[in-house]
Order: sequence, then C-alpha cells, then structure tokens
Amino acid sequence: MAFTEPDKLVSLEEAAGHVADGDVVALGGALSYREPMALVRELVRARRRDLHLVGSAHGIDVDLLVGAGAVRVLEESYVGYEQDFGLAPAYRRAAESGRLVLRETCCYTLLQQLRAAEYGIPFMPVRGIVGTGIRDLHPEYGEIRCPFTGQRLVAVPALAPDVALIHGLLADRQGNVHLARPLVLDERFAFASGKVVVTVERLASPSEVAEAGVVLPYFAVTAVVAAPYGAHPTSCYPHYTYDRAHLGEWVKAAGTDEGVRRYLDRYVLGPGGEEGYLGSVGEGRLRALGEWSASDERWKELLS
Amino acid sequence: MSSEFTIDEWMCAALANTIRDGEVVFHGFGSPCATIAMHVAKRTHARRMVLVEGSTYALDPDPAFVPPTSNDWSLMRRAAHVLRFEELFDLAARGGVDRMFLSGGQIDPHGNTNVTAIGPLDAPKVKLGGGGGGCNLSATVKTLTLWATRHRSGRTLVERCDVITDLGYVTPEGTRQELGFPGGGPEWLVSELGVFDFPDGRARLRRLYPDVSLDEVRAATGFELVVDPGLRPLPPPDPAAVALVRRLDPLGVRRREFSEQELHRRFRWADDGASCAACL
Repeated sequence: MAFTEPDKLVSLEEAAGHVADGDVVALGGALSYREPMALVRELVRARRRDLHLVGSAHGIDVDLLVGAGAVRVLEESYVGYEQDFGLAPAYRRAAESGRLVLRETCCYTLLQQLRAAEYGIPFMPVRGIVGTGIRDLHPEYGEIRCPFTGQRLVAVPALAPDVALIHGLLADRQGNVHLARPLVLDERFAFASGKVVVTVERLASPSEVAEAGVVLPYFAVTAVVAAPYGAHPTSCYPHYTYDRAHLGEWVKAAGTDEGVRRYLDRYVLGPGGEEGYLGSVGEGRLRALGEWSASDERWKELLS
Repeated sequence: MSSEFTIDEWMCAALANTIRDGEVVFHGFGSPCATIAMHVAKRTHARRMVLVEGSTYALDPDPAFVPPTSNDWSLMRRAAHVLRFEELFDLAARGGVDRMFLSGGQIDPHGNTNVTAIGPLDAPKVKLGGGGGGCNLSATVKTLTLWATRHRSGRTLVERCDVITDLGYVTPEGTRQELGFPGGGPEWLVSELGVFDFPDGRARLRRLYPDVSLDEVRAATGFELVVDPGLRPLPPPDPAAVALVRRLDPLGVRRREFSEQELHRRFRWADDGASCAACL
C-alpha cells in the first residue's frame, strides 16, 4: 500500500495508535544504537499487550517492553547488553518463567524472510539452522531440495510485520526520511511491513532531507513524529552517543519486577510523555551526550 | 612498555595470530577480544586482511577506542566504507567471508557453541542473549576461530551443549558434509588455559600457557581431553601486539570477558626476548 497523504505529521500518541494489541512489530536500530525508544515508551504508556517483536540484535527497547508486560512472542536474534551490562534482566526473567513464547531467530534468516515479503514471494531458502536449537523453535520453517542442484536448504516463510517502528535523523512532513549508517534492517523493515511509523530528531524541509539523502521514501512511510532524543538512552549519531549511565540504571532496576515498576513510574508513566521523560533525564545530561564529537578524550569519557 | 603482560592481552594477541593475511574477517557483537584481535592482526602480520566490524559493518575502520558496545560510531571511524547489513550477510552466504570469531556459554568437542540457553529450551535455567547471525554464518563462513575466556569454570567446555546455536563439525542431525554446509568449521579454539586445534573435527589441546598444567586443563574440560603429542607452551606474544592491545582498548573493555582471578595472572617475556609474531 502506498501512503500518499501530503502531511503525515502526528503526535507520538497518535503514532502509537498504529500499533494494536497482538501485532507483529519490527523494531529498528540495534543493540545500543538508534532504537525507537520514544515509541517504545509510548507503547508502554498506552498499555499495549501481546506484541510479537521481530528484530536482529537488540537491547533496552525489547527489555523495557518485556518488563512492562507488553510482549507475548519474541523473535529477535539477540537481546542483551553485550560485555557492557551483560544479560537483559527483564527479558531473562520473563523467558525463564515461561511468560514469553521464545522464537529466537538468526540475523540472516530474518533478513531473508523480510526479503521474501519485499519480493512478493512466499519463502526464501537459507543455509544453516538444521542441527541447531533454533530449528526446534520454528516449526514453521520447511526443508526443500533445490530443483536444479539437488542441494538441501531450509525454506523460511515470508515475514511481513504489521508495523515497523524506526527512529531517524530527519524527515519532511510528507514522510521522506533520512537515516544514518549503520542502517541495520531499517530499510528492509520499512519495505516489508504493513505500516511504517517513524520518529525523527528533527522535522526538515523536503530539500534539506533530499540533500542529506532520502533512505525511506514518502510512499513507504505511514506516520511521522518529531521526537528529539527519541532514541535515548540508545545513541543517535551524530547527534548524541548512548547514555551509558542511564542504561546502567535501567539494567539495575530491571533485576526485579518492583525495580521495573519504579523505573517506569519515574521515567515513563509518571512524567506522562516524552517532554516529561526528557525532563526526568535532565537537560544537562542530554546536552553532554552530544559532546562526543568534541574530542576522542571526551568521547571516551562519556563511554567509560 | 612494561616487561609484564596479562592474560587478556595475551589472548587478544593469540586470537590475532589465527588470522591469515588477505582474509576477509568478521566478528559478532559482544566480542571485544575478537574485535581487538582483528585490529591487532590488521596492524601487524595481516595488513591486507579485510576487516569487517561486527555491528557497524564498517570496513577497516580506525577506532578512536574500543567501546563497551559494538554498535558504536567509534568502530566506524575513518572506515574505508560502511557495508549494509545485507551486504555482509550475503557475502558470508556465498562463501566470501574467510573467517569469523565465535564464542559461547558452552562449547562442545565438535566446536558447536551455545549462546541461547543453559538448560532445556522450553524451560531455560538461564536464558542467554542469543546467537545473532551465528546459526546461518557458521554454516557458510569458510573458517571459524572460537574463543572462551571462562574455560577454568568447568562449565564452558562441555561434552554436549544444552542447546546448539552455532554449528561445529557434527550435530545430532549429521556432519557438515551430510547437511550440505559449505563452510569449513572451527580451526582454532583459544581459551585462557590453552589453544586447541581441530585436526579430525574434534578439539585437541595443542598449546598451554606457561602457568597452566595439563591436569588443570583436564579438570576444567567437560569432555575427554585429546592432547597433541607435540604439546608445548604457547610462545609469548609479540611485544608490538601487546602494545597495540593497550592502545586500542584504553577502557579495558576486553577485561570484562574474564573473571577477576584470571586478570591477576602476570607473564614476562624471556630474557632472550623470544616471542612469536604469528604462530600458535
């Protein structure tokens, strides 16, 4: 479906309305980088339930949604904080208690499933998976023999998420979006999903977006929200690096259900919106995250 | 340059020595030792390697420093180019990636690794982070270097992985050949106790760090230890490699892969200055 409205600028609340309970939701960005956190927080405020998340390697976006009780099915290739803060506590607790349906996936498998949806074909063949536990988590995968070479391959079905949530740098009101590299799976999500909801650091004129480089063209984009610091506490280079102290605060809180509740009250539900969230984080802290480019020393200091 | 070095520095240097010049090499996320090893190799014996960063997909960057998270612009700085996610994974699928680094909460003697769960998959005792791209990549990448920083715990090198995430030589479904996987499988397993190779598709202890005994390795290894008849101490690392490790990782992110006890180990270069720039 082509999205042709000339003005797609909406509030964050309206944007989150594009996600329904039970939807398959693709999260843009990855790990500590450019995750659609403003939308994630708004889904928590809207008390969305039973979401089926798909993505590659992710961190606080997934952990927060799981902690808030918004997720039923998890189809990500990794959830955690690498050597930085280790395992994702809320995710881990939910997975170990059986509250989540685990469908752990693999980056290339997910890419090929999105491509099948983009190409308009029912499946794509991939190698690997057979012999691993990932195969056991996916009864929907099939196995085929290539009609030309006889090779044995795994057939993975097309995957078209209901909604993709992406945070970018610039957009115009029509929905042309500029994203910086790494793009991770953002483009594939945008072209494979039924709806594409984008938050951006800043609204810009069509010519400014064109000059920066359109990565998602307007017809693929359903709604646009201006959400400065919309990836916080993940990074959105070149505007800001990730907020390591805040991430650490979440990881510590997420160790218990009570801690998750306190975090959500303090930062997400209590303040009631993004302005309140950013206020709770503090203007000084946010400004400091933009100082990464001042010098290697300052950058290193912010990440230590 | 101090006359001492530590196990984290040595392991990064040893991992670097698994890379051959001219190879296309990739690491995943959450793998500072592998990241550093690749940058050491690129600046010493493997100047023509094609270095692809694990999460930024940046080609041959010059990091300001190794950051605590892999998807950071520091690992993209001054890159020759930044690949798309798709470009890297397609390259690996068609056999264009020569080497990848993989680790695991569990590793079995066939080189299968587990980063998915400890305990059964339907009721995990510990839900680990997950494998990222490993369960496809390990089937098609030409050669794998495995590493483990918690060998001594006795829980890492196991007879059987609770769950297999990344493919070694043999799984319960069959061998690589039987399953039609074009990738070659693990070539090395470097741990904080020793170095293994895989001469017949099974891990074999080939080198020991000088402060580790064979009995210690045997006690820490959950599978029957096969030992190379030519078992020898690992030659000390090239001092230039150790200096690079320190320069690349001033935040000491690599040290987070190790238990505190390991980080207290101290080594010295021999009086005759003997070291090995590219041997294992």
